Amino acid sequence: MSTAVTPEPTKHELHVVKHAVCTFCGCVCDDIELHANEERIVETKRACILGESWFKHHTAERLYPDALIDGKEATYDEAVEVAADILYQAHMPLVYGLSNTTCEAQRQAVWLAELVGGVIDSHTSL
Amino acid sequence: MSCTLGEVKNRADFIIYWGGNPAECHPRHFTRYTLTQKGKFLPRGRKDRTMVLVDIRETMSAKAADIFLQVRPGKDFEMLTILRALVKNQKVRAEAAAETGLTLEQLQDLVNRMKAAKFGVLFFGMGLSMTRGKHMNSAAALTLAAELNAFTKFVAMPMRGHGNVTGADVVMRYTLSYPFGINMSRGYPRFNPGEYSTVDLLVRGDTDATIVIGADPGATMPKPAIEHLKRTPTIVLDPKVTHTSKLSRVHFTTAATGISAPGTAYRMDEVPLPLRPALKSPYLTDEEVLKRIITALQKKPAWQPAVKGGEQIA
Repeated sequence: MSTAVTPEPTKHELHVVKHAVCTFCGCVCDDIELHANEERIVETKRACILGESWFKHHTAERLYPDALIDGKEATYDEAVEVAADILYQAHMPLVYGLSNTTCEAQRQAVWLAELVGGVIDSHTSL
Repeated sequence: MSCTLGEVKNRADFIIYWGGNPAECHPRHFTRYTLTQKGKFLPRGRKDRTMVLVDIRETMSAKAADIFLQVRPGKDFEMLTILRALVKNQKVRAEAAAETGLTLEQLQDLVNRMKAAKFGVLFFGMGLSMTRGKHMNSAAALTLAAELNAFTKFVAMPMRGHGNVTGADVVMRYTLSYPFGINMSRGYPRFNPGEYSTVDLLVRGDTDATIVIGADPGATMPKPAIEHLKRTPTIVLDPKVTHTSKLSRVHFTTAATGISAPGTAYRMDEVPLPLRPALKSPYLTDEEVLKRIITALQKKPAWQPAVKGGEQIA
């Protein structure tokens, strides 16, 4: 899957996503049309310059390992254990960010903060 | 008092942007929601609307404005307060108005236009809410819009940046009853911006571990805050290896929101929209990684708020 053969950009049939939603800025435009192959979005319709580069910037390629622990490659399961230990041992853990993620993940983050008795905060406070 | 962008499109004949540059930061705000669209009660679109831009410098957005008011940096609160006084027909000294970099006539003209509008909107950006005065500025803007309702319909709306930051506010509000900066260390939510807001916590060194989801504080925060993130164990969930990942103990690569991860995102007017991802990611979503961490935590003995001599410590 990760064999990066760029000259012939795997011309799988392009599929079209209508009414796609752009989450780059707070406008959250929901009228975007995306043309994509298995690996990347090749065309955007109605997106602004910021939206277009947002969609084209993220691909389905495997550019990074699943997880890193102290900078070394690791599996999700190993990283989950280390992360859980860190959060469990902390007296005052902080859950931060939450802008560039879904509401479903935000719900989990709230649950996590409650579970470890920490602080939860978003970009709003900046 | 706020409304949806749909209402703005169909009804707003008077639009103020204050301390924001939508032409460059929210490029489709004008064309999709506020200015150029024809609305139900504004059949001629742009011709039926008046747009005022208030900013400290003439940005790209000024080209789209009918009136550009250049406020002196750091004088937004003063300008808002004078506008509120003028709305109530109180006397304002010309020298006080001059402090803001504008003349009393300009400000009076703005107030006359606001009162004469059928449906006014005040969009305020980070130029207002993140500069001298901060949340006092936002409060003054909201109060101005509220007070104008004695004369006409007037609403205010913040121009939210990063994708789903509005969703974070909404989710925290309906789960923990506050929008951000919430401390759960006593087992119930406590809200105190300035005390429990991230930059303050990190700069003071109050936290001893951090999990960062969909953000890159390592690239944006003040240096002492970043130093503290380095000093204490940090966990990052992000589609890319970010600046923060590089100073953290654990990094998870996750699917990109809306591109390869499905879910819901809130628009700045608090309308939730379902995402339609176009790609299949080889990585887990933020949601799934968080679920797994929670499952791992639940296997450990439950955490209880610390109690010492009958008194809770946190």
